[in-house]
Amino acid sequence: MRLTEDEIYRSSTQFRLWSFTPEALASLRATTNSTATQRVKAAVKRLRESRNQSETNSEAENGTSTPVIFNREPDCLTVEEEMKVVEAFCGRAIVLGNVLEFPSNVIATGVQYLRRFYLFNSPMTYEPKSIMLSAMFLANKIEDNKMECADYAARITGTTKEQVLAPEFLITQALRFTFDVRHPFRGLQGGHMEMLAIAQGKAAVLPYVEKTAAEFQQEMLELPTQPGGAATKITQRELEKRLNAATDKARDTLKSSAIQSDAYFLYTPSQIWLAAYLLADEVLALFYLSSKFPGTIDAETPTGIAKLKIVATVRACAVLLAPDPALQKLSAEEKEAKRLEEINEVKAIHVKLRHCRDPDKMDLVKLNKAQKRDAGVEGKLEESVAKRRKLEREKNEKEADEFWGPELPKNGKKA
Amino acid sequence: MALSPIDSPKPVPAAAKALPAKAKALTILNASTSSPSNASTPSSEGPQDLSEQLNEQVRRNYVTGSRLGEGTYAIVYSGHLRHDPTSLVAIKKLKVNKDYLDGLAPDAFREVRALQELSHPNIIKLYAVFSTRDQNLNIVLEHLPRGDIEGLMQNKSVSYGPADVKAWANMLAKAVWFCHENSILHRDIKGNNLLIAADGEVKLADFGLARTFSDPYRPMTYNVITRFYRPPELLYGARYYGGAVDVWSMGCVIAELVLRHFFLVSNTDIEQIDAITDVFGSCTEDVWPGVSRLDHYIPPAKDNIKRPKPMIYWKQHFGMLGDDGIEYLKSMFVLDPRKRATARQVLDHPYWTNNPKPTPKELLPQAAGGVEKMAEDLKRRGGEIEEGDGRADKVARKLNFADLKR
Ligand SMILES: Nc1ncnc2c1ncn2[C@@H]1O[C@H](COP(=O)(O)OP(=O)(O)O)[C@@H](O)[C@H]1O
Ligand SMILES: [Mg+2]
Repeated sequence: MRLTEDEIYRSSTQFRLWSFTPEALASLRATTNSTATQRVKAAVKRLRESRNQSETNSEAENGTSTPVIFNREPDCLTVEEEMKVVEAFCGRAIVLGNVLEFPSNVIATGVQYLRRFYLFNSPMTYEPKSIMLSAMFLANKIEDNKMECADYAARITGTTKEQVLAPEFLITQALRFTFDVRHPFRGLQGGHMEMLAIAQGKAAVLPYVEKTAAEFQQEMLELPTQPGGAATKITQRELEKRLNAATDKARDTLKSSAIQSDAYFLYTPSQIWLAAYLLADEVLALFYLSSKFPGTIDAETPTGIAKLKIVATVRACAVLLAPDPALQKLSAEEKEAKRLEEINEVKAIHVKLRHCRDPDKMDLVKLNKAQKRDAGVEGKLEESVAKRRKLEREKNEKEADEFWGPELPKNGKKA
Repeated sequence: MALSPIDSPKPVPAAAKALPAKAKALTILNASTSSPSNASTPSSEGPQDLSEQLNEQVRRNYVTGSRLGEGTYAIVYSGHLRHDPTSLVAIKKLKVNKDYLDGLAPDAFREVRALQELSHPNIIKLYAVFSTRDQNLNIVLEHLPRGDIEGLMQNKSVSYGPADVKAWANMLAKAVWFCHENSILHRDIKGNNLLIAADGEVKLADFGLARTFSDPYRPMTYNVITRFYRPPELLYGARYYGGAVDVWSMGCVIAELVLRHFFLVSNTDIEQIDAITDVFGSCTEDVWPGVSRLDHYIPPAKDNIKRPKPMIYWKQHFGMLGDDGIEYLKSMFVLDPRKRATARQVLDHPYWTNNPKPTPKELLPQAAGGVEKMAEDLKRRGGEIEEGDGRADKVARKLNFADLKR
C-alpha cells in the first residue's frame, strides 16, 4: 500500500485551509484591512469620547503630548501598505533566523506563520515586530528545535521572554490551530537525487516511458546550456557539477523569495521547487519534467494537456519567485538607490502606522495578562480603565519610536 | 518524486470546498469572514478580533462533562455538541504544567499538529480545537468509550482468539502505516494509547510525542516511547531514526495481545536491553552493523553473547498466530532497524489474507464495561507518570512499575 504525494498533500491543512486562488487571497486581505480600519476608527472614537468626558477631572494634557490619534480621524493603512510592512518583517525574520542559526525549515515555518497570521489580522491591530519574534520562537517549538525562551529573548535586543511569549496564544488562534507547514526543500532534494541518478545512467525509468536509463543519460549529457541553445556534449562529471549548481541555486530561491512571496498560498510544494529549479536551470527543469512523461506525446491527448498545464503552472510560479526583471537591468548604484528608496517607503508606512494602531491591542503583554486575569475574576477589571489606557498610550508612543530599532543579537553570533 | 503536479490540486479557497465534518468547525473561520463585525462582543479590553470571535463560536458548540481519564499532559473529559447531547466527544484539556514555562506545552502542539494532518479510520479524529478564557487549549476528539487494548489484554474475563488478534493487529498496522506515509512518527505506541470505539474500531490516540521526520539530517531525542515498547536503537541513544521505532512498539503490542501480559519487561533502561537480548540475542556488529557506534552501546561480554530464542520458543508462546503470523511478528523485532520490516511491508504480509480471516469489528469481543470497569481503568492509568523536569528531551513516558505488578 502506498499513498501518492498528491493524496498526502490534499489531506494537509496547508491545502485545506491555507491554499487560495489569487482572487480569494486578494479579497481576504481586503476584508481583513477593512475590518481593521473600522475597528481602529471605532476605538479612536470611543477613546476620544471618554477623554472628552474625563477631561475636566484629569490632569491637563497639553497639545504636544496629546497623541495625534485623538485629534483627527486616523489615516489607516491600505492593503498594499499592510503587505509592504508584513513583507519587510518577513525579511527581518529571515535575517534573524540566519543570525541565530536556525535550521532552514524553522525559518521557513516561522515566516509562513507570520504570513498566515496577517491574512486574518492587520498590522494596525497587531504590531508585526512582536508577532514576528513570537512566531519565530513558536516555529522552533513546533519544528522540535530545542531552545529555551529565555535564551532566545536574551539574544534579541530589547526583548524579554515575556514579550516573546505574550502573543503566542494569539498566534496559535490566528493560525487556526494548524501548525504543519509543507516545505519544498525535501522535494528539491528528492528531485536532485533523481536527476543525479539519470546523469549516472541509473535512472529508475517509469513503466510507461519507452526509454532506457542509458538513453536518458545520453540525452541529458547533450542538453543545451540555454533554452533553444545548441546541443552540447559534456562529461558525466561536468553534468554532475551542473546539477549541483542548479540545486544550490534553487535552494537559495527556496530560502528567500519562495518564503517571502505568496507562493505557499498559491502553489504546491512540488510546483514551488520545480519553479525554483526552472529559474536556476530551465533546460534541466524541463528535461526532468519530460522524463516523467512518455517520450512522444500528442499535445491533444489528456497526458499532453496535463504536461502543458504543469509547465504553465510551474512557469507562473517561477514568475512569482524570480527577481524583478526591471531591477536586474539596473546598475549597482541604481540598485542601492532603489533599496534605500524602498526602506524609506516602509519607514514612511511605519510612521503612518503609528497613528492608526488599534489602541486596544497595543500592549500585548498586558493584554495577555489581562485576559488570563479576566478568566479568573470576571468583571473585576473596571479599576480606572481610562488611567490605565493613558499609561499604556504613553508607553506605546515610546515603544513605537523604537519600533525599527535593531532586534538582532546583542552579543555576536553565538550566545 | 511522484508525478505530483499533474493532477495536483488547483488551489481553491478553503471555504468554497466541501469539507468533512472534521474540518467544519475550523472552517467557520473562513466562512464568516464576510460578516466579521456582527458577532463581536465588546469586553473590557475592546472588541474581539476575528480569530477570537471564531474561537468563541467553536467553543460554544461544545459542552464539557465528566472526567474520562488523565494522561501525562492533559485531562480528558467527556463532552457533547451543545445542540445535540447524543453526539458525544472527548475533550482533552491541557494541565497546567509548572515545569514548562515557555508558553503552551510542546505536547499539545505535537498532538494538534499531527492530528490536523491525519484522517484515517484507525486514527483518533480531531474535530476541533478551541481555547478557553484562561488560555488553555481544548482538543475536541472523537469519543472512544470502550477502553483500550491494554485493558483488553489484561482483562481475563474477556476471551479472544487468533482471528480477533488479527483484526486488532491489522487496525493497528494500518494506523501506523498511515502515520508513516504522512511522514509522522508516533513515538508512543502502546496498548494504553490504542482506544476502542463504540463500533469496535481500534484507534491510535495520544500524539503528544509525535513528530514529522521530514528532515533526515536533524537529530532527534532518543528519550521517547514508553520503556517496554522502546526499540534497542533508542535504548542505545540513536538520534537518527525512522519509522522502525514505531514498528518495534507495534510488535510489542501484538505480542502482548497474544501473551496476555507485557512482553518485554524491566525496571530500567539498561535492564530493558537485557529483556530484549534475552529473546532476540545480543546486539553485535555481526547482526547489526554500526551498532557499536551508538552513544550508549555496551558491548556484550565475549563469553556472554546471547543467542536468539529458537523457533520452539515462538511456537510455544505465539503458536496462536500460526507460522505465517510468527514470521511477520518476528519481522517487526529485527534488531537492526534498517532490516526491520517497515509498516508498509507489515501490511503487505500474507498473514492478513491467510486463514483465519480477521474478525469483523462489530463481532470483536469487548470488555463488560460499566462504571466500575471505568473506575478501575482510571486507577490503572494513574500508573503513568511524567519525568519531573518537563524538558523537551525528557519526554519519554515512564511506567510506574509497582503499579503494574498489582
Ligand atoms: N477520545 C477518548 N475517548 C475516551 N477516553 C479517552 C479519549 N482520549 C483519552 N481518553 C482517556 O484519557 C486517557 C489519557 O489520554 P491520552 O490521550 O493518552 O493522554 P496523554 O497524552 O496525556 O497520555 C486515556 O488513557 C483514556 O483513558
Ligand atoms: Mg496516554
